Formats: sequence, structure tokens, C-alpha cells
Amino acid sequence: MDITAHFPLQADAGQSVTQSGFTITTHKLPILKAGPIEQMTAQLGITPPEMIFGDNGVTIEHKQSGWSIGFSAFDALDRVDKTGGSMLKVAYSSEWQKNRQHVHEDIKEVVKPFDWSYSTDFKGTTTGPPLSPSDAEIPLHLLTRPDPIIFFDEVVLYEDELADNGIAMLSCKIRVMPARLLLLSRFFLRLDGVLFRIRDTRVFVEFATRQVIREYVAREDTYDKVKSKLAVGRADVPAVMRDPNQLVPHMPVVDRSLESLTLP
Amino acid sequence: MSDLDKAIEQLRHCRPIPEVQVRELCLKAREILIEEGNVVHVDAPVTICGDIHGQFHDLMELFRVGGDVPETSYLFMGDFVDRGFYSLESFLLLLCLKVRYPDRITLIRGNHESRQITTVYGFYDECLRKYGSANVWRYCCEVFDHLALAALVTGAATSLEPTPADWVDTAVATDPSPGAELELEILNADGQILSRYQRPQQDGTDSESLAPCAPSSVGHSGPPGSGAAGSGAATQQGGAIFCVHGGLSPLIDSIDKIRLLDRKQEVPHEGAMCDLLWSDPDDIDGWGLSPRGAGFLFGGDIVKCFNYRNDISLIARAHQLVMEGFKEMFDSRIVTVWSAPNYCYRCGNVAAILELGEDGSNAGFAPRSNGDVGRKSDRGRMGPGRRYRVFEAAPQVARGMPAKKPAADYFL
Repeated sequence: MDITAHFPLQADAGQSVTQSGFTITTHKLPILKAGPIEQMTAQLGITPPEMIFGDNGVTIEHKQSGWSIGFSAFDALDRVDKTGGSMLKVAYSSEWQKNRQHVHEDIKEVVKPFDWSYSTDFKGTTTGPPLSPSDAEIPLHLLTRPDPIIFFDEVVLYEDELADNGIAMLSCKIRVMPARLLLLSRFFLRLDGVLFRIRDTRVFVEFATRQVIREYVAREDTYDKVKSKLAVGRADVPAVMRDPNQLVPHMPVVDRSLESLTLP
Repeated sequence: MSDLDKAIEQLRHCRPIPEVQVRELCLKAREILIEEGNVVHVDAPVTICGDIHGQFHDLMELFRVGGDVPETSYLFMGDFVDRGFYSLESFLLLLCLKVRYPDRITLIRGNHESRQITTVYGFYDECLRKYGSANVWRYCCEVFDHLALAALVTGAATSLEPTPADWVDTAVATDPSPGAELELEILNADGQILSRYQRPQQDGTDSESLAPCAPSSVGHSGPPGSGAAGSGAATQQGGAIFCVHGGLSPLIDSIDKIRLLDRKQEVPHEGAMCDLLWSDPDDIDGWGLSPRGAGFLFGGDIVKCFNYRNDISLIARAHQLVMEGFKEMFDSRIVTVWSAPNYCYRCGNVAAILELGEDGSNAGFAPRSNGDVGRKSDRGRMGPGRRYRVFEAAPQVARGMPAKKPAADYFL
């Protein structure tokens, strides 16, 4: 029996703006209910994160050329390792395992192993003409100017507290200015006592030239290394460790790629 | 008005009380809590609540929906602090109520009631910010160490008195058929009925086996209430309700084993006490290890066996966020109750509390034939009648702060 069948559904709170032929749409809804979570679990083959905003998303669409790029929780989670091959262990795992062995050696089976840190290298789902590798950098000088922001939104796609061992979060920010837009999709992982991971995908669109640039930057370092760098300054360390913006300068780049495309 | 009543009044307005008063309160609370066993006995009627996580205004909404203390008796299953902005006010209010009405409010420990977790997830920082020193945090942590680990609710009715209220959607409205038992009712924050379920008629053909219990010494004819219900177990039609923050432990097959633990310590990283506060039910067979490398998962067979052996009809636990506020699993043998609406101020989930009625309230309504008294069906004990009240986050005006809209920023 579905004892929650009579709960009222919330209306879609999507909002949208069109600028120079590019339509930007964001959806921000509550976390998924039990039914859709079960459906997603079956489709993904892994347990979704605790806070799964499966109806949320950001899309940028250029109708004239049929090009679009979209960011959603499902597509991002589909790129999480589902085999357990790159599985991390919480800081006290070895201690826990060692102590537990004396009493329950029979319980050895790890239930459905997968990368429970929900680390994803998701760069967005595209349709239409493809992006290809390029040297074109995102023009930062055009983005630091205080141009008016016509549209801004921040959308969380998923978040997990890793059973109180840190935080894993994928979120998207977008700002649309009169002549260009910037989207940042950021995966942030802090596994307490183990490591930090930040994987950023930026999408830049210059409306006049219809040039699209996508940059992917992955940063990673051990927990102790980052913490020791923070301890040097006078910063409020616990607060900084929750804020990827303040962590970025302390973390080395481990992977980077640039792609671009000029739409007809 | 006593100092304690004044403190309650002040905290109800979300204003912290002075440090000296916190110290005194924590000392009194410890005196009361130390007298409680690891497993607290609670009589129905009682309202069971899950995680609060410092969402003070939503705790006020919970009391509005569920009734005030002491008129309503409450059992909170831990995780009072961390994450929300008002852990301090929320926990101190609950503690004041505990000291003022010790028999009307029960607090058991959650995994966040720990020194290590609160230093990472907000409560420590909040105390430091609001008092300028860590003293209050230290007093509270000492109280945490004295909180009971579990509770056992006895005397709960197996069926509900139908709530005389309007239906939210009259198209699905049903009146209980004569003679049938009302097993479950879901009400919204205004007390209107969202849905209702009658208990299916038992036809005795329940073929579910109790195989997982077979290796143990307790069989079908085993004595009921092995530590579960204390006196009078044989006359309780419904069996007891076991309440714990996380779940079961492979080290704990009987409730008596919980009573033997030394609980007055920081939550350890492993062992029975840790499991009770951390483990989760999952759709698996038997026990499993969490993919994270620490912590247990337990399946429906484990729950069935535990409930049967301990004469438990339902396990109520918290610990996991559920969008609908509650989630029943394994043929209603276990329920997750979540009482923090719009968790972390962004999840958009509803919260729930679980009301259990008193057996005496329908004493004249014999649910089963006399010959069945004390008999266990293959299903085990009949579960309690369950009334869930679901509620949303307190309105913004009650918080005294404007609705949060993302401020446009020149991120790069």
C-alpha cells in the first residue's frame, strides 16, 4: 500500500529567461519522494544520495541551432562509479573493521559497493553540435566587470552528509549578463580525515559570437595537507573547510580540459 | 513563576538563557537522567518524534501540531542539535521541559549528541558564538553522556479512535467499516485527515516463516516478553514499541543486552552503543556492511526476528531523512520518523510525528476473541495503531527573518 499517495504535489517552480536566442531555464523543487527515489535507484543501480533534488536542473538552449546543455542529478549520478572500484573508506574504517572482526567475522559482505562519495566528473548533457577540444580560455576579464546580472540562480542537484563523515554536494550556479553568461557546476567533497575534492565545470557563452567554452578543472588533496595549509593563516578553519571557494587556492589541479564550439 | 518556568518562557521565544543558568539546568538534568535506565520505559499514550537538528521554529511548530508539554507526552529520538541555526535554544528548551516534567518528556541519544560530531556540524561553533566560550557546549556534552540509548513504549492500543475531523480530499474519504480496526491515520498540520487504513482481517493463513530465528533457543512457544514488556506482557495485545535513534546491532539480540551497556561515555566508534545510534535498515537479507566501510545495515529478516524474540510489534527510529516525514518498512515492523521539515532550510521535505494511543481508550472494544489472549500469531504481535501528523516548516514570519532568495553574485 502506498500510504503517502494522498500527499499534495508541489507545482513546478521553473523560471526562465531568453537572451540573444539562448534560453536559460532553472528548476528548483523539493527532494524526491519515496516513489521516485525507488525508481531512480532501479535506473541508476546505486542508492541515490540522501538529499536528492531529482527534479532540479539547469539548461541552456539555443533553439536556432538545436544545441543545448543540461545539468541534472540523474545524469551526474549516472557517471558515479557503480562498481566500488574507486571506493573510499571513512577515516575510522580500519579501526572499526579491526575491532569488529573479533565479534562478527561472519558479516563480511559490503552491501552493494559503489562510490558512495558520489564523486562525478559530469560536464553536462549536450544535444546538437558537439564541443571539441580547444585552447580558447574563458575570458575572465569580461566576467569580472560589474555588468548587470539579468538572471541569477543557484540550484542544488544532490547532497549527502556521508553519514556524518563530511559532505558531498553537486550544485549549479548561473548568471546571465546582457552580452554573455557563465554557468558553474561544482562537485565538492570533504571526507573528514581523508581528502578534499573539487570538480568544476564552467560553461561560458558569448552571445554576439555564439561561442561556447567549456572548462573542466578537478582539484584534489589529502585532508591533512589542506588542513595544515589552512592552519598557517588566521582563518576560521572549520568554516573554511565548508566553503569550496576558500579551499580552491589550497588545492592542486589534478585534471583540466578545455572545449569550445561556435554555433551557427 | 519559578526560575525554571521563566527559563522555559525565555527559551520559547528563542532567547538563550545565561551561562550560570545553563550550568544549573544541566546539573539538574543529569540528576534526572542518571536515574533512567539505558532503555527507558514509557507508557502510551505518547507522541514519538525524530530528528530536530536545531530547527527551533519548526520544533515550535511541532508542539503546535502535536500539543504542548505536559498535556502531550513526548518521546524524542535524538539529534536535537547540529545543522540548524538554533541547536542551543532547541536543546535547552527540551532539557528544561525534561527537568520540569520528567515523566512527560523522554529524550534519548542520537549520534549527533556527541563531542566529536558537534565540533564538526555546528553546535560547538554555535555555543562559542553565543556565549564566547565553550563552557555551555561542555555542560551540554556531559548531559549527552547521560541520555538513555533507547525506549520501550508499552500499553499502546492496536487500533485508533477515528479522529472526528474533515478530510482534505473528500473524494477519498472513507469511514471505517463497522467492527473493523483503524490501523493508521495520516493527518495534516491542521488536524485534517489525509488518509486512513483499516487493519486487514487476519485469516490465519499467514505463511511467513520465522526461519531466521530458528537457530536460537526461542521458538514459537517461547515465553513472550523476554525483557521486552516487563510485567503484564501476556495481557498486552499489541506488544511493545522499541524506540532507538539508528537501529539494531549484531551484538544486541535481546533488549536486556542494551541494559548491560555502560552508556555514560562519548559515543564510541564501534560496538553495540555505536550501532544503536548509527545503523540503518536496508532492503537486504541479514546483516551487511555499509559501503562506507563503517557501520551496519540490517534487513527485514533481522527486524522480524528481533521483534519476535523481544515481543516488539514495531521499531520506531529516526536518523534518516525521508521526504514524507515517515517511512514504514518490512510490513510495518519498523518506521523511520523524521521531524525536521525543510531540512537544512532547503530540502523541502515535510516532517512527521507518530502518535500512539492508550490501550485503555478502547477497552470495551475487544479486538480479538478471548482464546487469543497471550497467543502470538505467525505475524508476531499486532502492531500499534499509528496516527501520523505531518507538518511543514514554520512560516517565515514566525522566524522573524525574511525569505531566503539567492543573492546574485559575480562568481567565477
